[in-house]
Amino acid sequence: MSENSSSTTPFAKIIIVAKDEWRYWLRSKLAISVLAIGLLLTLSSVIVTAINTMELSHTRHELQNDADQTFVDQPDRHPHRMVHYGHYAFRAPSPLSVLDPGVDAYTGNSIFLEGHRQNSAMFADQKQGTALTQLGSLTPAFIVQTLAPLLLILIGYSSVSRERESQTLTYLLSQGTSGFTLIAGKGLALMSVIGLILVPLTISALFSLHEGESVAAILGFILGYALYLTVWALLVLLFSSALSKNSESFTALALTWILLCVVMPRVASSTAITTVPAAGKLETDFAVIAELRKLGDGHNANDPAFAQIKASLLEKYNVDSIEQLPVNYRGVIAMTSEAKLTEVLNEFAEQRMQTVLAQTIVSRDFGWLSPMVAIRSLSMLTAGTSIETHHKFLREAEDLRFNFVQGLNKVHAERLTYQDDMNRNKDLDSSNKARVAAKNWQVLDDFAFAVDKPSLRLQRSAPAFLQLLAWIAVLIIAIRWVGKRLV
Amino acid sequence: MSYMFKQLSREWRFMLRQKYLLVLLGCAILISGFSVQSGLNEIEQQQQTIERLTAADEADRIDAQHKHDEFGMLAYYTFHLTYSAPSDLAFAALGERDIYPWKHRIKMLAIEGQIYESDTQNAELTQAGKIDFLFVISALSPLIIILLFHDLFANERNSGRYDLLVTTAKSPWALWGARGAIRFIAIFLCLMLPFYVGAWVSGTSLAAIGLVSFYCFIYLAFWALLSVYWGRNASSAPKVASGLIGIWVLFAFITPILGDLTINKFVHSPKGGDIVFAQREAVNDAWDLPKEVTMDAFTATYPEWKDHVAMQSMFEWKWYYAFQQVGDQIAASMSQEYRDAAKKKYQLAGYASLLSPPLLLQRILTHLAETDAVAAFKYEQQVRDFHRELRLFHYPFLFAQGEFNKGELANMPSFEKFIIEQQDDRNTDSAQSTNK
Repeated sequence: MSENSSSTTPFAKIIIVAKDEWRYWLRSKLAISVLAIGLLLTLSSVIVTAINTMELSHTRHELQNDADQTFVDQPDRHPHRMVHYGHYAFRAPSPLSVLDPGVDAYTGNSIFLEGHRQNSAMFADQKQGTALTQLGSLTPAFIVQTLAPLLLILIGYSSVSRERESQTLTYLLSQGTSGFTLIAGKGLALMSVIGLILVPLTISALFSLHEGESVAAILGFILGYALYLTVWALLVLLFSSALSKNSESFTALALTWILLCVVMPRVASSTAITTVPAAGKLETDFAVIAELRKLGDGHNANDPAFAQIKASLLEKYNVDSIEQLPVNYRGVIAMTSEAKLTEVLNEFAEQRMQTVLAQTIVSRDFGWLSPMVAIRSLSMLTAGTSIETHHKFLREAEDLRFNFVQGLNKVHAERLTYQDDMNRNKDLDSSNKARVAAKNWQVLDDFAFAVDKPSLRLQRSAPAFLQLLAWIAVLIIAIRWVGKRLV
Repeated sequence: MSYMFKQLSREWRFMLRQKYLLVLLGCAILISGFSVQSGLNEIEQQQQTIERLTAADEADRIDAQHKHDEFGMLAYYTFHLTYSAPSDLAFAALGERDIYPWKHRIKMLAIEGQIYESDTQNAELTQAGKIDFLFVISALSPLIIILLFHDLFANERNSGRYDLLVTTAKSPWALWGARGAIRFIAIFLCLMLPFYVGAWVSGTSLAAIGLVSFYCFIYLAFWALLSVYWGRNASSAPKVASGLIGIWVLFAFITPILGDLTINKFVHSPKGGDIVFAQREAVNDAWDLPKEVTMDAFTATYPEWKDHVAMQSMFEWKWYYAFQQVGDQIAASMSQEYRDAAKKKYQLAGYASLLSPPLLLQRILTHLAETDAVAAFKYEQQVRDFHRELRLFHYPFLFAQGEFNKGELANMPSFEKFIIEQQDDRNTDSAQSTNK
């Protein structure tokens, strides 16, 4: 630090310290290899995940189109047959899932939609996996959340303690460089490394603009990661300045990383599961079945549960028997019972989603204790790959289901006479008569799943931003305190 | 003997005076304790769920059997609970039970339309992973061991005591051996004690406890020796630790990820969606096909009903259940391929995990605890076999159309009985083969 003199401004001094730190890294074999490996990992994770996501997105859009087309192409049939023939909904991945696929592989990504039932999402990719990626996967989110902090520790643990150990610290301080300037300079050097790590992420994120992602969401996403890595840079500076030896600083930082990055996220999810127990779908289905029994079976128009509907229909059209009604009584019953049944199903589905959300929020609150938990929620929420997005998918798939089933029931009530309908099993001829034309299958809405609006996603991730900012504030206060006492 | 004891007790007292070692050991026992505690909780929840489901399932079945009289309707409305109960070691290795389903309710309809339903837990929490004893041992303990052992030599060298210590000690073993042994025994006990308590609570067999202890000992010793070896000549402790943590990252993340990428590239599997789609199409097309087509395909598999396929009306239950079965038959080869691909992937992953000690340990212990993918595959096969049993029970009443009285329902197969019978068959089989 030869050019250091009292005439330079504090800011110029900070730059000089930072430059010097870089010179040290470039000379150190360890630091340079850690940097190279870190950047290589980030880069390859960005590329691999981008390719995977593009493939997934392409396949699912294609499958959705196929499913739409197959439904519409069905021949003339009894409309209720189409209710059971059913339809599929596929969850297209969100644009930013190139950086954080989130829960995508852990939830089923397709749902079979049919009358009278809400099926669960099928075929989670993990089930067909190798079980090798349990500890970590090659996604930018994992690499930057878990390994980047380790990189910062490995290159930065000795940034201040080294000067102390080689007894250059007293010299530097007596030359007029304040403790704060020194720490700030080292901090600047670490921030420049953070900048380097974020470059591949930013480039990949910009590509998602093309897929319809908004600038705000991308900015929020990158800013979140910048804040998170800043927390780690500050932790590194704090330990390096507060502890007197390199080895102490290293051990303390390594232990902190183990606790915050490896242990805490899992403690958070284990705690969430045990404090908010959630009954599975299988279990709540019993309650649903009990509730539904009260409604009557929509297939059986003679079910006593429908007596009241029958009475009111006869009154409305002023006729004496269901044969005289201008609409097909069986279709009307199918429609009314589907509506009532859906109400019950939705009520239970909503309850289940709320429980899952409550669980998730318990685990997200651990963000106050671990910046890793905070960035994890922030990242998934902003990218639209959190559990909320899956719930949105479930709700929209349910709307799609209800609409096409009711569309078909309407066709059943209006386009097929009661007599033909009742005779449908008599012989081949009457079976053919009890059909409606294939053009009626156009009742299907086009389905294209999209994530929530960016404003909503950012609003959801506000607590996680606050958690990171709180970490930064506390650490800065601690560093200032240590910086004044730097000897 | 007393000499050795003296060495050990000296090192023990020495360790107690080093604060950061105590912090590490404290963290180890706390985390291990938490993991065992939450594992026990999780398993208890699973067991309670099974109890509640069994009761509700029984009540629901009785209700359905009471409500319906027609045999086809009865079969349509009667569900059967199947489940795979957690083993007494599952608390230590929760394994993949949050990814693969361990409970299904099935009925007489096509199995391919039912078996892929999943009743999994909160996906966002599954993605983060849970903390169980196995995770603590396989992923976390290497890091703690690295921090405990990397500076065995470097620390003394750095403080300039190294030469003095080496020249005054009777033998290197008396010094470094005793120091290493004390640290190893301390960390081993801190990590394992909570497991022993958990095993005692859940009544794990002594053999299983012994095996787990053995594997954990080997695994921890591997990391301890590696750490000591890596640091034998170094004078900068952080450099040793950086290298060791690098090795850990390589074993825990990099080799498994590369293995995963390679395996997924080379093993191709039919898409799950296609299986369900094929099955669905087959079942729906059947409504419009001549009845003989369905019945012929059905009697190709079950020729014993050849003379009972004639139909009196456009709809009969025997035809309905026949085309359900035909739907399964059409999807069968694809479904088999799908399962084979999953098995193949898991098997290949076994080779990949030879290059990754943490995953190797995970595979061994989840296998021991029956919480791995293999156990999940086995459960799926049991469900399929049970479904077949169920069909075989129903066919005589559907096809022979003889007298049916509700008393016969008492003989209906139940999954619990089915599992016990399967177990007995296997035992008699193995008894016979040993007799021969």
